[in-house]
Amino acid sequence: MPPTSLRFTSLRRRFGRLAVLQGVSGAVGEGGALLVTGPNGSGKSTLLRCLAGLLAPDAGTVELTEEGRLLDAAGRRRSVGYVAPDLAFYEELTAGENLAFFGRLRGAPPERGRELLGRLGLPAERLAGALSSGMRQRLRWVWALLHRPRLLLLDEPFQNLDAEGESAARDLLAAHRAGGGLAVVASPSPLELDGDAPRLALG
Amino acid sequence: MRNLLAALLWLWMCLVLVGAFFYAPPAEGFIGYSSRILFFHVPMAWTAFVAFLAAAVWSGLYLARRDPRHDRAAAAAVELGFVFCVLATLTGAMWARTMWREFWNWDPRQGAIVAVLIFYGAYLALRGAVEDGETRARLSAVYALLGLVVTPYFFWIVPRVFYSLHPDSVVNTRGTIDMESRMLQVLLASWVGFNALFFWLHDLHRRAGALRARREA
Amino acid sequence: MTPPASRSADWLAEAAAVFAKEWRCELRTRYALNTLGLFAFTTLVMVSAGLGPLGAARAVGTPVLPVLLWLILLFAAAAGLPRVFVQEEETHTAIALRLAATPSALFCGKLAYGATLMLALEALVAPLFLAMLQLDVAAPGLFAATLLAGGCGLAIASTLIAAMIAQARGRSTLFAVLAFPVTLPLLLLVVELTRNAVAGEPAGGALVQLLLYDATVAVASLMLFPVVWNP
Repeated sequence: MPPTSLRFTSLRRRFGRLAVLQGVSGAVGEGGALLVTGPNGSGKSTLLRCLAGLLAPDAGTVELTEEGRLLDAAGRRRSVGYVAPDLAFYEELTAGENLAFFGRLRGAPPERGRELLGRLGLPAERLAGALSSGMRQRLRWVWALLHRPRLLLLDEPFQNLDAEGESAARDLLAAHRAGGGLAVVASPSPLELDGDAPRLALG
Repeated sequence: MRNLLAALLWLWMCLVLVGAFFYAPPAEGFIGYSSRILFFHVPMAWTAFVAFLAAAVWSGLYLARRDPRHDRAAAAAVELGFVFCVLATLTGAMWARTMWREFWNWDPRQGAIVAVLIFYGAYLALRGAVEDGETRARLSAVYALLGLVVTPYFFWIVPRVFYSLHPDSVVNTRGTIDMESRMLQVLLASWVGFNALFFWLHDLHRRAGALRARREA
Repeated sequence: MTPPASRSADWLAEAAAVFAKEWRCELRTRYALNTLGLFAFTTLVMVSAGLGPLGAARAVGTPVLPVLLWLILLFAAAAGLPRVFVQEEETHTAIALRLAATPSALFCGKLAYGATLMLALEALVAPLFLAMLQLDVAAPGLFAATLLAGGCGLAIASTLIAAMIAQARGRSTLFAVLAFPVTLPLLLLVVELTRNAVAGEPAGGALVQLLLYDATVAVASLMLFPVVWNP
């Protein structure tokens, strides 16, 4: 049994009469990645939200083990790094202030945020509300990596990024996996990931 | 088995009716036979109380185990408790018309029971305003538990503001039961009957809810 | 494992960060201060002009003026306090907050913001109310204690209910529907206490009851908030 792993079994979730997830299972080991594919509305984002602990599945289990410790839903929420289109920040605060606030919540040192901002080329003093959509996506990446998570949940992680931004984000993902981190990546279009990544097709 | 119990309940309630009108004597100090409403008014109020308490217990169970059946049970208990509470309010107002010449005079008991009605009416409004089943169950369970904390204040604080003409509770302030024994027998029998009626209706309501949930799935 | 001392320091730092963030955002947009202040001021002028000097003089000693004061404060609270959670859900910042914050620390930070906002509003409204209606308070200490305990109580109940309605439909009406029965005991008590303070009568047990209400609702809210906030 590797010290850090993610396993989810028979996840089901419905919204009213609409059954979005109908018994989805999968697993990721250390340094591994899982690529979740499927058309719009196939439940990719719902699956990632269930894994993050943002949504309670109707049935099924999510087991995230970090350093041999099994985390509950609250532990999972604190632990995962999450990048998704619906993730937003305080528009009346600057990018730097947003990161300083979340850094204080997560107990991350301020240098960590500054270092990541530099690597993704984000202006710290710009208001979050005045960032372009590509810059917002970069800020999501910085936010997700702030607390050095072991599991990254990435929902359409490269959308709106230019070539330079995408390569910086891919470098961060590769470094994360090289350090033994896990990743679950959801994308409607086929996506090439470094190293081999098993695919989970939904819908 | 369920049918047999329902038949027994029907027989029991018939006996309570006969007892209330022919067996128990009218109480002194009341106009006419108006005291006989006691055998229905008081058990209804107590049953509403039992129903709301049961709803809080089921809500706590839901939050602990996240089983949708507990959520449906809590919702059914509040709906029925609400009906019993309305009936207690109406029978109280009928009695007040006879004794105090007004249906409504903001007696502390009337004020408190209206506050309780508003609280559980708000619970039902909350259930109607949340679309997702899991979120609805979670939020309404929280509100039902909040009721456990807030509703006692209605009975404790409202009498500060209004003076009461309401008769002593059955167990009076001296801690003794001050009632003719035949009246007490009928009252307790009626209380048992109304509670059984609540649990029977609750069982029906809960099973209907389960059928609806299965049809939607 | 982190030792307990550092964990409680972390918890305090989190609550303080939330409190500071709320006030920083508020001072940049001035949304709550402007709307609440203007709302309270407009209703105050309406009450004062509507009653006129004669009406106000005749209402002294009756519960009418305390009821009006607390109605102004209640509706101002209902206009401003739900925003602490509704805004987070509407702008989708709730997701980042859910993943980063400890629920109890988040609740306490938000509550501290709501309570300070309420007290700031009272500091503005109460003196104006007394001046415009030419009302003399015989027991200023009791009056201040009532405003303090009543404002905190309104903030406590509103913060939990704001977190609930933020996840429902028809938020603005639902807030009033859910908050009214919860705050009803508080409103009865503060009206009586305000009347006592103006008339210089002893408060009796009402202040104790009010503090007890604040404490029980605060403890219950703190215990219930994590299940409201998280699935």
